[in-house]
Amino acid sequence: MRSHNSNSICSNNSSTSNDKKRKASQKTLGMAWGANSRSASRSSFRSSPFSDVGSYMVAKNRKLQDQFNAEASCSTTSSNGKKPIFHGVSIFVDGFTIPSSQELRAYMLKNGGRFENYFSRNSVTHIICSNLPNSKIKNLRSFSGGLPVVKPTWISDSFAANKLLSWIPYQLDQLANETHNQSKLLSFFTTKSSGINNDVPTCMTDEIETKDVNHPTFEVGEGEDDNLNVSVNHAVVEEVMVNGRVHNDENSYEPRNTSLVDQISSRGESTSAQSQSSASESVQESATSAAVGPPKQHTTLADPSFVENYFKYSRLHFIGTWRRRYRKRFPNLSSGFQQTSSGHNPVKSSIIHVDMDCFFVSVVIRKHPELRNEPVAVCHSDTPRGTAEISSANYPARNYGIRAGMFVGDAKDLCPQLVVLPYDFEAYEEVADQFYNILHKHCNKVQAVSCDEAFLDATDSVVDDPQLLASLIREEIWKTTGCSASAGIAGNLLIARLATRTAKPNNQCYIPSDKVNDYLRDLPIKALPGIGHVLEEKLKAQEIKTCGELCMISKESLQRDFGSKTGEMLWNCSRGIDNRPVGVLQESKSIGAEVNWGVRLKNSRDAQTFLLNLCKEVSLRMHGCSVEGRTFTLKIKKRKRGAKEPIKYMGHGDCENISHSLTIPMATCDVEVIQRVSSQLYGCFNIAVQDIRGMGLQVSKLESSDAGTKGRQRNSILTWCTSKIGGPTTIGSAKEENKGSERQSINRNPNDARPSNQISTNYSDTDRRDNRGLVLPPLDDVDLDVVRSLPSEVLSEINDMYGGKLTELITVNKNRNEHTSNSLCDSSHKTTHDEIYGTKGPLDSSIAFSSEFPSIKEEIQSFAVSESGCANLDISTSSTDIMDLMPSSLSQVDTSVFQQLPETLKFDILKQLPAHRKVDSIGAEPQESSHARLSENQNLSLHTLSSLKDLWTGKPPRWVHIFRNNNCRILHFLSDMYYTSGTTGSLSSILQRSLLGPPSLLEASDSEGTNDVRCLFELLKQYVEIIMESDIEEIYVCFRLLKRLAVKSKVLQQVYDDVLPHLQASAGEIYGGSLQL
Amino acid sequence: MDRRERQSPQAETARVLVEFLEVAITSIVHLKGIYPPGAYERRRYMNVVVHRARHPELKDYIHSAVNGLRSHILKGLVERVAVVFFNAENIPLERFIFRVSVNQSYGEKVEEADLQFSLRSFLIKLPLSEPLTKPLPMGCRWEITTYFRSLPEASTSEEADLWIPTDMKQWMQPPLITPVKSMSSEPMSLQLYMEHPSLSEPNPQGLSIGNPFVEKYEWFSESFRVKRNEKFQIGMASLPSVLEK
Repeated sequence: MRSHNSNSICSNNSSTSNDKKRKASQKTLGMAWGANSRSASRSSFRSSPFSDVGSYMVAKNRKLQDQFNAEASCSTTSSNGKKPIFHGVSIFVDGFTIPSSQELRAYMLKNGGRFENYFSRNSVTHIICSNLPNSKIKNLRSFSGGLPVVKPTWISDSFAANKLLSWIPYQLDQLANETHNQSKLLSFFTTKSSGINNDVPTCMTDEIETKDVNHPTFEVGEGEDDNLNVSVNHAVVEEVMVNGRVHNDENSYEPRNTSLVDQISSRGESTSAQSQSSASESVQESATSAAVGPPKQHTTLADPSFVENYFKYSRLHFIGTWRRRYRKRFPNLSSGFQQTSSGHNPVKSSIIHVDMDCFFVSVVIRKHPELRNEPVAVCHSDTPRGTAEISSANYPARNYGIRAGMFVGDAKDLCPQLVVLPYDFEAYEEVADQFYNILHKHCNKVQAVSCDEAFLDATDSVVDDPQLLASLIREEIWKTTGCSASAGIAGNLLIARLATRTAKPNNQCYIPSDKVNDYLRDLPIKALPGIGHVLEEKLKAQEIKTCGELCMISKESLQRDFGSKTGEMLWNCSRGIDNRPVGVLQESKSIGAEVNWGVRLKNSRDAQTFLLNLCKEVSLRMHGCSVEGRTFTLKIKKRKRGAKEPIKYMGHGDCENISHSLTIPMATCDVEVIQRVSSQLYGCFNIAVQDIRGMGLQVSKLESSDAGTKGRQRNSILTWCTSKIGGPTTIGSAKEENKGSERQSINRNPNDARPSNQISTNYSDTDRRDNRGLVLPPLDDVDLDVVRSLPSEVLSEINDMYGGKLTELITVNKNRNEHTSNSLCDSSHKTTHDEIYGTKGPLDSSIAFSSEFPSIKEEIQSFAVSESGCANLDISTSSTDIMDLMPSSLSQVDTSVFQQLPETLKFDILKQLPAHRKVDSIGAEPQESSHARLSENQNLSLHTLSSLKDLWTGKPPRWVHIFRNNNCRILHFLSDMYYTSGTTGSLSSILQRSLLGPPSLLEASDSEGTNDVRCLFELLKQYVEIIMESDIEEIYVCFRLLKRLAVKSKVLQQVYDDVLPHLQASAGEIYGGSLQL
Repeated sequence: MDRRERQSPQAETARVLVEFLEVAITSIVHLKGIYPPGAYERRRYMNVVVHRARHPELKDYIHSAVNGLRSHILKGLVERVAVVFFNAENIPLERFIFRVSVNQSYGEKVEEADLQFSLRSFLIKLPLSEPLTKPLPMGCRWEITTYFRSLPEASTSEEADLWIPTDMKQWMQPPLITPVKSMSSEPMSLQLYMEHPSLSEPNPQGLSIGNPFVEKYEWFSESFRVKRNEKFQIGMASLPSVLEK
């Protein structure tokens, strides 16, 4: 009969393997489906040579198949080498159909399809029927095995159209119309708003429509997931058929291969765009990789916002973050009352424990009263795989034995009519808020345990009878939220909680203190809080099953067996002793985020992206709680060697948990820093990304970020003004770091409302930390003149950021300015602004200029300086510490501005300068010497400030020229050395030479100090940036030499100290280590 | 010679590099004195006196390891080749890192003499840097580990197959780097530096102030292992099983 197969057209090389599969699977499924033929087959098998029903069915199926093949081989009309229409389609006809099953069989015969007399999940691709009984619709999954259930007209229409139509429009009405209000697993992870139900078919539609234009458009039905899966699969089959490609690997069309389908669907457009030749390849490829590679779409990476969505749809996350929400909502209540009276008099106190009944379900079904008595479970997804875990089930469902944590599939086996609903987080929040509002209304001592559970201390309550109070509360909860709550009333927290357990559902229970012992006597130990599986097993081993039995054991022996804490806890619990007061929410000790579901990474870049998203999430949470943390712990779930894909869909399966942690010196909640830390931590793991099944980032050693901000004066204008070399005040990003980074602040430009890439990449790690978090300054702080002279496109951008208010302000201000400005100041300002906007550098000088104004403010006013000038300076004037604002030397004064000033004013300024006063006292002609110095300084400031960029470009490098024209000895000396050291131009050879030079040359005068350090700092920093990657040896030599030189020169020591962090940061970045110097 | 001229510049570079690595790694192992001096013989390579392994297994290990890298170097996959010395507890004590970067788009003919001249300086500098190295305790072993830029595809040649993925004990802290020699020329850049555990290494937690963050991930490392006493332990089944002397 194998030889027979070779005659048939549709079954190629692979038909033998197909046969095998069929054989294997029909044994069982054939039985289930062949129910009507069962009795017949049974009777025949008694007298037949077949050993059992299974082998009979195998033989029968084989025979039927052979007959079919034989008929097919003579009747198939193969049209010019094209694949027959129904190639790859195998139908099973269920019940009465029009056209009849025999006619359908004929269609399939003639057009290369297959017709199965008995249902088999493996060989059948479509189920054809016109009507389904209710029971089968309700339990579609077990009926269809996830295969599409299609109306018979699909066959006839396809035949009429002479091509295979999509079956989706022909889906059985009963199924197509069924509303699926259930959000599917996939829909969580689609970036667009459209759910999966549209998503997958859409890409399929694309495929089909690109393939042939005549294809009638159809509406995308809302099918079951599994149907869709097959549909995509089917679409591929179709596509290949249309392409008319001969393919050998029919196995790849096996409809069962859901992950193949997923893969294809995730490929989406690309598949459809593929050329003829690659189409079948891609199927093959994905079929092979399906076993190994997970479907991409639901995992971390196909979706950039995976992490975000993950938490959006995570119940645990909801519970976790609820606490924060609660604290925000009841800030006073949650922390306002201290343990004043509670606990003093435990005998009399009465505690009420209120717990909502199956909160997650009842909140969802309060809108569906018809479901109230039906078994309902809440679960994030209801896929046919059924491997999602039920997170909560209502009482009718619990009666079926359904428990939280169960797989949906298992639960449905227990209770086929189980209704599975998705979460409704908004409703949860709403109800939880209502719940707590009620509690707080009735009682001023509320300890929130969870979003649906709380303790009340009713000792001092207005209502005397706690039972009455409890019923009042419960009634109000019922009325307000539509959900029932249970309450337990007792003398302490422990018994109150146990009482609630007895009370549930929707009831209350009071255990007076004299009844406690009776109550506990027969209570199974498992019921006690704090006793889990392990402890229970241990106790059971000691023949302890109830609290009464536990009571018999002495405290000492308990403590010996279980440790002192656990032992005491057991001892107390078994006696119903619980001295804890009704307290407040505990401050959280750590904040973190963990994703252990759906994590499948392909390469390191994926891992990085994923990590970044996780960091963002953590940072967001930290911001939400306004805390900063110092210790970062990265947890990774690593697939155990040899562990298979877990049963739970996309779950993490069998994993090892590994974690690394790191403490940084300063608390942070900055994404950038967190990301750096975590990627370093990630680097420690050194595991293959493919094995990562989960990742979690936790931040501990938390500090309140508010306090930190206050302490460090972050983002405050004052720090800017009082710092020695202040940056522009207009943009409020502050720094508190060492001088090195302060000096860098000159790079910052007021028009850089956002940090420009170039700058920030140049920054070393420590700087980067501080330079983040730029915020728009208040509108009043914006220097309008600055803004006005911005290029129009920049201006409009800034204007957008301010929501258009900026331009208004400018026009208003303009009018005012026109009246008051005089020509002198106009021109002086123009120069300043031109310089500011021309380059980054001179900014420093302009600031210096403006910052000296306060001291001469009176003079300025007496000279009738325009208001615009003052407006420009109002930030500086706001500063109180005038002397600090004075530039330390003339080099910091913008000479172009200075020279525009009237002589008297100049003189006053010069007087104010401490450095210059010295010169004054020495110099015979103060005026002239100051002029001379000014012109020198002009050179210097121009070079040092505007052109300390790209020092190493050109040949000879730019710095040589700049330093040569400098009057500073040390810089001059270095540029000389460049020429004497030969042509290599490497810094090391120059420094080598310098080492031989006279040490006096290396010392600079005090007034020059800062400038020189800045120049040299830039020189070295840029050198490191350029050379580090290619030549660590050169850098190493340079710094060794510099270190030796630094012994002789204070300036160089300063430079060395300043550059070292940059050097090590750069070495760390490129070589993953620090340079040993 | 004919054959060589037909080679691409990259293949040429890879060939020279592999040859050089074999010599240089032998020199490092010799420098560290992990085997008795009798295990080597003096040879001249690139007109520099070098030591060559006489012991067949040692020679073969180094030879096969670097030759197995050739195809990976050709594809530009190899980022770093590390010679790692471990103490008896398997904790790395010292690492000699060759940082390799071959210009993949270099189209001109490689001047082998120029390249050799550049590489020669490494062999000269290496013995001079001995004072910078750390003395090894007894019972050390060493291995060659390569860091790849990305996961290599299923390899083509048998030699390349000898490289297997491995886990590696890492230092908790970024190491201290001591450069030995750097060279950057057109078809290829090569840097040799040493890594030693940071001074704060024994302290397992925390990052001291100013410590740089590691930017890069160590993608993947592959290794051979060699133990002292010329007993080879090779972590792979397809290799000739454990060789006994």
